[in-house]
Amino acid sequence: MFLWQYLLTLLLLITVQICKAQRCEEFTDLNLCHALIGTNLKVRLLLYTRENVTCATLVSHANFSSHPQFNLSRTTAFIIHGYRPTGSPPAWIQKFSDMLLAREDMNVIVVDWNYGAANVNYFKAVENTYKAADNLTAFIKIMQENGASLNSIYLIGVSLGAHIAGFVGANLNGSIGRITGLDAAGPQFTGNPPEKRLDPTDAQFVDVLHTDIDGLGFREPLGHIDFYANGGTDQPGCPKTMFSGSSYFKCDHQRSVMLFLDSLDRTCTSRGFPCSSYKDFLNGNCLNCEGFGAEGCPVFGYDVTKWRDVLLKLGQTKTYFNTNKVSPYCTTSYRVDVMIWNQDVRWGYITVKLHGNGKETVATINHRASQFQKFTETKLFAQFDKDLQSVKKMSLKFSTGNVLKPKYKLRVLRIRLTHLERKESFCRYDVILEENKEVTFRPIPCEDSNF
Amino acid sequence: MDIELQTKTNGATYLSKEQVPAGNGDGAAYRITEVGEEDGLLSAQTSGCNGGTVASDHAVETQINLEKIHTPQETSAVCRIKGELNEVIFWRVKLWMAIIILFFFIFAVIIMSMLLCSVIHEDKDEIFDPSTFQVPQCFNGSFQLPNLVFTEELFTMSSNESQTLAGELREKLADLYRSSPALGRYFSKADIYAFRNQLLLADFQLTFLMPAEHQDQLRNITLSRKMVYNVFRQFLYDQEPDESGQMYIDPVSLKMFLKH
Repeated sequence: MFLWQYLLTLLLLITVQICKAQRCEEFTDLNLCHALIGTNLKVRLLLYTRENVTCATLVSHANFSSHPQFNLSRTTAFIIHGYRPTGSPPAWIQKFSDMLLAREDMNVIVVDWNYGAANVNYFKAVENTYKAADNLTAFIKIMQENGASLNSIYLIGVSLGAHIAGFVGANLNGSIGRITGLDAAGPQFTGNPPEKRLDPTDAQFVDVLHTDIDGLGFREPLGHIDFYANGGTDQPGCPKTMFSGSSYFKCDHQRSVMLFLDSLDRTCTSRGFPCSSYKDFLNGNCLNCEGFGAEGCPVFGYDVTKWRDVLLKLGQTKTYFNTNKVSPYCTTSYRVDVMIWNQDVRWGYITVKLHGNGKETVATINHRASQFQKFTETKLFAQFDKDLQSVKKMSLKFSTGNVLKPKYKLRVLRIRLTHLERKESFCRYDVILEENKEVTFRPIPCEDSNF
Repeated sequence: MDIELQTKTNGATYLSKEQVPAGNGDGAAYRITEVGEEDGLLSAQTSGCNGGTVASDHAVETQINLEKIHTPQETSAVCRIKGELNEVIFWRVKLWMAIIILFFFIFAVIIMSMLLCSVIHEDKDEIFDPSTFQVPQCFNGSFQLPNLVFTEELFTMSSNESQTLAGELREKLADLYRSSPALGRYFSKADIYAFRNQLLLADFQLTFLMPAEHQDQLRNITLSRKMVYNVFRQFLYDQEPDESGQMYIDPVSLKMFLKH
């Protein structure tokens, strides 16, 4: 009898031990009921490392020694989510930590403040950001006491999370390494003084992406560098009407995360061109990257740290880039120079199609009617959805949008396309573009020339 | 006047029928206006017109209600206009028909003139007077014919063989520049004046004539070495090596410079 009892206790202890070891922590899953009633703030920190990529462990403020994989000599990235009106876990959270770990051997801590963010009352969630920031600040201070350097702290904040990152940074006197703000929240923060929002003094380096400045995002620059994807307003591929349901509200906003994940993937890069306005950028007035030396204009995303020193020297930089509808989001940019010999000024849109190796890519320059003037070079900015390594043929189409006017002809002396990354260019001389008629030809290597 | 009187009586009978279920003036007033509104302008039915007249005959209490909808003066004005619109101008054409036809006519004239304009549109860039082209601009250059079988006779320009080859090449050059939209009008002639060395280099001269006015602009841009050279080079890149056979010109070998 005694033996039996002894064995049973042992068995129980073993199972408890096994269960304890294998238990994976999950992001808090709440539902609409919680959001309706409202939740009180509870911050959970889920640690992922290369040792436990898929299985998170909960780290507490007190006991660091129980997490042997939590190596404080490595970079520690905190992913801070935003407002959760429905209480569901963010769909991208697992992918985010996976991809960060794939890029670098670091500690990824998912800051789960779903209790606090899940609330139909947005103002309550905004209030909770300050408390969540205090909580996180305390944790980082303990990390510091245990030997972590603030330089190796990297905060990635999405929406409200971006401001939390800002508050944490401010609490720590801006000495943490880097903050990335992904479409920092606008409502209740727009117009706030710097201490009540994310700002460049919150960390040694602050990079911010804007994807929904006319909705849930923040319009003004917030960091050392601010990227405005597609002007920061409407993202391609996102619904334009309310009939598409909830995605109408969140698609633009959420795109910021998708773009950042794409940058982690390194399939292709999106360069941000410094410019005063999106209009100027589209007009091709901001294609000069000489200020950044051999590296060229800063590339959006995880690797923007390469430009850190030059950007810090510049203070604040506002940059623009365009994206595709789906991943891979990066576009291929060409500068197009057109010179005509028509006696009269012509206005219109140019569509460029490139063909090569059975693939085809189109760019329509139609954000405004371009002006073409006799013997004057007209500079256009064409963005293609994919990059063709060798262009065998190209097609050009000129259109004016006029219905009743006579069909005009654009008499081109020379058209020159320059790949902005590879700097290679090809030309075509002496072409007549009849309105709405596509002309296809073989481009020839440019004889390096300026008239 | 005759018509107006008739319609009045018509309206009156119609109204008296309607009044029975309504019972009071109030209801009648509403119905009257309903009739008025349902009456299309084009329906040619004029009974609605009498609403105003009838209403003014009614008791004062009705008047108050009516004021919210139509004052009698307004209604009678509408009525008068309707009446006038329905006047026959000639044959069976009524005034409203004439007005609509007039509008259609104006619209058609606008469209026609726009279409006509686009058809007879003269392209300013296609008008030029070759007799004013007198200032010459010449280019010299050479190119290589790698596919051509070399014979000694080609070196002497007077030989039959070199004459035919020169003729063919001259034709080729002339065709290429004459068909050029930008340069064609200025092109005067092409000459092949020598064949040189084993690699068979052909020397050529191109002559263009341009007008005295704007000659600086033309000299620097349209008829610049860059443009003339690249039009030739582009033509050479477009040719298929196997199709042009012996006459194949190597694009890379093309050299050209302005003759001063």
